[in-house]
Amino acid sequence: MIVLDAPRQAEASLVRAADAPSDAPFSDAPFLAAFRASEAPMVMTDPALPDNPIVFANPAFCHLTGYAADEVVGRNCRFLQGPGTDPSDVARVREAVGRGEPLRIDMLNYRKDGRPFWNAMTLTAVRDEAGAIRSYFAVLTDVTGTKQAERALAREKDGLAQDVEARNLALQAALDQQTALLHEVDHRVKNNLQVISSLMLLKARRSRDPACRDVLRSMADRIGALATVHRLLYSLSDVGRFDLRDFAADFAADLEAGLDPDRIALTVDVEAVAVTASMAAPLALLVHELAVNAVRHAFPGERHGRVTITARRRDDSLVLEVSDDGIGLPADIDNPEGFGRDLVAMLVRQLRGRLAFEDLGPGTRAQVVLPLGPGH
Amino acid sequence: MSAGSLRVLIVEDEAFIALELECLLEEAGHVPVGVAARAAEAVAMGRDLAPDVALVDIHLADGPTGVTVARALSARPGTTVLFTTANAKRVPDDFAGAAGIIAKPYSERVIRAALAYVAGRYHGGTPAEVPDGVVLAPGDRGDGAARTDLPA
Repeated sequence: MIVLDAPRQAEASLVRAADAPSDAPFSDAPFLAAFRASEAPMVMTDPALPDNPIVFANPAFCHLTGYAADEVVGRNCRFLQGPGTDPSDVARVREAVGRGEPLRIDMLNYRKDGRPFWNAMTLTAVRDEAGAIRSYFAVLTDVTGTKQAERALAREKDGLAQDVEARNLALQAALDQQTALLHEVDHRVKNNLQVISSLMLLKARRSRDPACRDVLRSMADRIGALATVHRLLYSLSDVGRFDLRDFAADFAADLEAGLDPDRIALTVDVEAVAVTASMAAPLALLVHELAVNAVRHAFPGERHGRVTITARRRDDSLVLEVSDDGIGLPADIDNPEGFGRDLVAMLVRQLRGRLAFEDLGPGTRAQVVLPLGPGH
Repeated sequence: MSAGSLRVLIVEDEAFIALELECLLEEAGHVPVGVAARAAEAVAMGRDLAPDVALVDIHLADGPTGVTVARALSARPGTTVLFTTANAKRVPDDFAGAAGIIAKPYSERVIRAALAYVAGRYHGGTPAEVPDGVVLAPGDRGDGAARTDLPA
């Protein structure tokens, strides 16, 4: 503990004050000793003197500020201020002093050697029994370390915010790149499907053999069904979903365009059922095969009739039915539709569904029940 | 030339697609007047051949120049431009003067129906319904509907 020569003036004043009430229960001397011994920097000023000077400063104050007691006694506290002191803080202190109100404030002060420190100060007006302000008492706390930690924390927070911002930008850039890539791939897939179907149709047009032409046309139609899937898949914002009803409407229009409307009527009643993108292509092919089989083979010669495509959701399954009122199930195993039938069986297996043909007499109904999987 | 028959310029850099389109147009009773694979070529052919209709892909041999081509070709009175593209997002909001977009991959039916519609609407043919595979330009819809139905 630094032993300090307390200013006589201060002691005199304290002693004088302590002496005043004769019935004081105890002496002020122990209090004075306590203030001196305290590790909390303390200072007392006397507003009765000109410019409200310091009349008492304890050793801890001197230790903190670097001034000797006799260097500060008799001076107004403003010598602690410096270039970095916030004038609005000074104004608050002045105002509190003026009003005699207590104040708790953090302000930047300066040591004798010019080094700044953050001073968390409590200022109290000490009144006599009549209520007149006799002195001001301030307790100082050096919170430079805390302030620095706060600032470091704030800087760190700023840094983190900048970091997050930078990461967000990077993520956005990556996402933009992925989106551009998706569009590019989508464009290529669609364009290639158009090229493939053009190639087949070109060859079909040039083939002299009607059977060959037929085969090429039917392959082009299958590719057309896949093309429709791709056109629809990427037309929605959700590329992971595919609506069977949209496909059915498009597909039916294409199928109808190749039919004699006076001979074969087409009815489509398909619910809006969303299926996963991975189901889209096989499901579309399945609808295509069943419908084309019915259109092509149920009405030989000039026979008239109707083909009906229905699809609806039943619990967690999709029930797809394609029925006709034509000649019924063909007996001939070697007929050219064999490939279509094989395709249907393969697609149903791929989609883990069940397939049943029913003789409607007249006509046939193909029913496919497909699990829709989770998320429905 | 029979009523409803159109003289059509094909602006397409994929040779097979262009060739197949020519066959399809002939089959549908139209007259393909030429195939252009590049922007400058397309604009020159549009000027020299004065087609009724130009089917314009956006991605051509010299890049995504189809939009510029559409603007140039549609500026000539008497030529109706339809985009045929797998990249409809590249089409600007004003459709660059085009009357509509046929989304690739298209089917033969949509091409036939789109041309029948254009013949009826712009070239004195029998009025025909707007085919479902065609997105019309804002002015042609007449309803100011937002382009929410655009394919990607």
